[in-house]
Amino acid sequence: MNTKSPSIRIFAFFISAMTLLSISRIFADTNDLTSRGTMAAAFGLAVPIGLAGLGGLWSERAGIVNIGLEGMMILGTFGAGWAGWQWGPWAGVLGAVTFGMLGALLFAIVTVSFGVDQIIAGTAINILGLGLAQFLAKLAFSNAPGGGQSQSPPVKGLLPSVTIDFIADPLNTLQQKGWFVISDLAGMFSGLFYHLSYLTILTVILFVLTGWTLWRTSFGLRLRSAGESPSAAETLGVNVIRYKYIAVIISGSLAGLAGAYLAIVGTNVYRGGQTAGRGYIGLATMIFGNWRPMGTGIGATVFGYIDTLQLRDNANIRGLVLFGALVLIALAFLGLRSGVRATSLAFLIIGSALVGGFLASTNMAPEVAQVAPYVTTLLVLATASQRLRPPATAGMAYRKGESH
Amino acid sequence: MIDAPVAVKLAGIWKRFPGVIANSDINLDVRRGSVHAIVGENGAGKSTLMKILYGMQKPDEGTIAINGNEVIFHSPSDAIDAGIGMVHQHFMLADNLTVLENIILGSEPTKRGVINQQTALTRLTQLAQQYGLDVPFNSFVSELGVGARQRIEILKVLYRGASILILDEPTAVLVPHEVDELFSALSDLKAEGITILFISHKLDEVLAIADEISVIRAGSTVATVDPRTQKVSADDLAEMMVGSELPTPETRGSTVTDEVIIDVRNLSVLTAAGKPLVDDVSFKIHAGEILGIAGVEGNGQAEIVDALMGIIKSSGVLIYNGGDISKWSTRKRREQGFGFIPEDRMRQGLLLEAPLWENKMLGHQTLKPNSNGFLLTPADAKNDTARIIDEYDVRTPSIDVFASALSGGNQQKLIVGREMSSDPKFLLAAHPTRGVDVGAQSAIWDHLRKARESGLAVLLISADLDELIGLSDTIKVLLRGKFVADANPVTVTPQELGTAMTGVKKSDGIEAAS
Repeated sequence: MNTKSPSIRIFAFFISAMTLLSISRIFADTNDLTSRGTMAAAFGLAVPIGLAGLGGLWSERAGIVNIGLEGMMILGTFGAGWAGWQWGPWAGVLGAVTFGMLGALLFAIVTVSFGVDQIIAGTAINILGLGLAQFLAKLAFSNAPGGGQSQSPPVKGLLPSVTIDFIADPLNTLQQKGWFVISDLAGMFSGLFYHLSYLTILTVILFVLTGWTLWRTSFGLRLRSAGESPSAAETLGVNVIRYKYIAVIISGSLAGLAGAYLAIVGTNVYRGGQTAGRGYIGLATMIFGNWRPMGTGIGATVFGYIDTLQLRDNANIRGLVLFGALVLIALAFLGLRSGVRATSLAFLIIGSALVGGFLASTNMAPEVAQVAPYVTTLLVLATASQRLRPPATAGMAYRKGESH
Repeated sequence: MIDAPVAVKLAGIWKRFPGVIANSDINLDVRRGSVHAIVGENGAGKSTLMKILYGMQKPDEGTIAINGNEVIFHSPSDAIDAGIGMVHQHFMLADNLTVLENIILGSEPTKRGVINQQTALTRLTQLAQQYGLDVPFNSFVSELGVGARQRIEILKVLYRGASILILDEPTAVLVPHEVDELFSALSDLKAEGITILFISHKLDEVLAIADEISVIRAGSTVATVDPRTQKVSADDLAEMMVGSELPTPETRGSTVTDEVIIDVRNLSVLTAAGKPLVDDVSFKIHAGEILGIAGVEGNGQAEIVDALMGIIKSSGVLIYNGGDISKWSTRKRREQGFGFIPEDRMRQGLLLEAPLWENKMLGHQTLKPNSNGFLLTPADAKNDTARIIDEYDVRTPSIDVFASALSGGNQQKLIVGREMSSDPKFLLAAHPTRGVDVGAQSAIWDHLRKARESGLAVLLISADLDELIGLSDTIKVLLRGKFVADANPVTVTPQELGTAMTGVKKSDGIEAAS
């Protein structure tokens, strides 16, 4: 919060979060909260969300709000299912990226060249992507062996995955000891090296590459300038329109890749409705991450983790509710110290109520429990949003030569 | 100087837009290593001409020659390649990028695509020292003030190796000592052989800095004078520009009464973090009085105005016509006689994409003749708009055109007309003549004087110190949210006031704040 460098701050936040998580695990008495299986599944679910978020980041950095990520992702799942069924998983990945890019190209033509409102165009892409995928699926898969109207035949073969035993196993042993904080960290890192899909590795590389490209290269600076002040960029001879096109197309290919992960690694088939709103959640993680790759990655992991726990048993949900409550209370105390009184009190009350709910019940109503993590996330976002620094012209149409 | 070779030669430039001729037969010779000023009213075609020279627009007819070679520019990059750089009136900077990123954008020193920060920094530090243009290279532009932003713009141009520099209204946003700094930097640049095109309508400044002056009127070059050899005064220039004499903001005689209209007690405005922007400020304005607030921008003027209008949260007591109105909403304040000329007409004063008659209703949408209390009454509003257009000399083809189609001066006259029409008792005027040409300026001054005579209380904020001194009955100097000095408008000079604004006191006409 003060003069400390950003990396120290992030590390401090990380350790505090792990401590709270560890406390929740002990009180909710559920070792599974930070087990290797949970963590590995969380990272798995985080990949498509993170890729969508990264796609949103590319596009918004160039000034285009890409709400059409969901539609491009749906096109990606179809491309993956279709090409994967014919020629194997890697062809599926390529097919997904291609389909995502085609969706993005259409979106770019409409928004960049014709200046159509980006939200409307994005919504149109979502509707179009959904309809087109359903239509093409009917054509391609109805009569295929193992396929159906809304499902592709299985992808030929699996993408390889790796487990680095000599790291994952000892950490897993450590996790099972149930030691405070240490075991939780061990579980988390063990999950990182367990059943690791090649696409997950690729995703991590893409995150690093994005940060490097956008903030270290001249290409990246020009692309960001197209989102921060296109008129200034134009007066300096930057071809703003071209950079916006490139950004949107990269955005679509990342959304397509997210679709590929769902269809190839997640389930092995294309299935209608597979994306389940992950494109939008990706967009939310990007905002949560302040339009930066590192933050987006952390956001995606948090969402992936929440998703994972909902799929597992009820004790975990109790743990998660307690964790959310503790986070709110901790934030309330931080807030009180820096003088933000009203918000802090609200956090304190909601946090205490959640703790009360946790203590009063041994078996939480799943509906309440499922909502709680999202409520916490919303509240955290509501306070974080005051420090965000979005690209200055995101969402605005730009026409060449209109600068004053 | 006069014998130096011609760096820029514009011959027979014509530029037409639908319905308007922006430039008609412009001829201009600019000599290398000189400061060549181009003066003219708003809308005279100066900006269009410079956009043509910078490759942002193509001339319909005519030729451009740089250092004797005829050129055709398709885009600003062509102009940059030919050694032309432009500092725009509205700064072309990205707030969320660092100073360094803003400067090198488009011509980054790279090694296989990766930006070489160190090379850029070394080069820029050297340039900055050479011309005395000091800026913090690693800060975000959003953290910097106007003077620093202008230095960034100039560095941007120099970094690209420009030998011809176009400055579009460079002093419009600067306070006196910043203007001095700019002029000394320009002298250094000139000494290095750089050619400077200086666009302005501040005639005193032009006379102080220019080697040659070209006057543009209604799209044509009407005269080029050399102030070093020919005797020419600001009045002469004004006459060439508009065909009339230079207006002065002088008010004659005091109309101040002892009826207190507005009484502000202990006004404070805090940032979200609790830092005071306005710090326990108190003042009274009487009927028929103009209270001027002098200060470098960003010292709390904007916050005082917003607090009085009820736009932002503040503490303190506000007495209006004897009653406490601290709790009133902005709408109620408006309805009860608060007039408001905002500092940024694009952001607060107008809807650019709406017709004039809708803009006329803004802020008074609950009052006659714009509304009958339940529904809007567009017919009456349109009639009243036509009256304003007529009385306030707003030059427009009709009341149905969008506000964006008007020049700055005419937009401002519309706003002044709108605010005066609701019969205000208290007027907040923030930079009422900013970016407005001499003709519109004198008209606005006339209206303010007339309103003052009829008993209006006015809070005037202006960066134009002549205007402030000329119009005000009382002047207070604001520094870091506090009044630090009072100045007597009868005796104080702009120089003294400018010094007081930076925190140095003790000179004739300046007293410690009461």
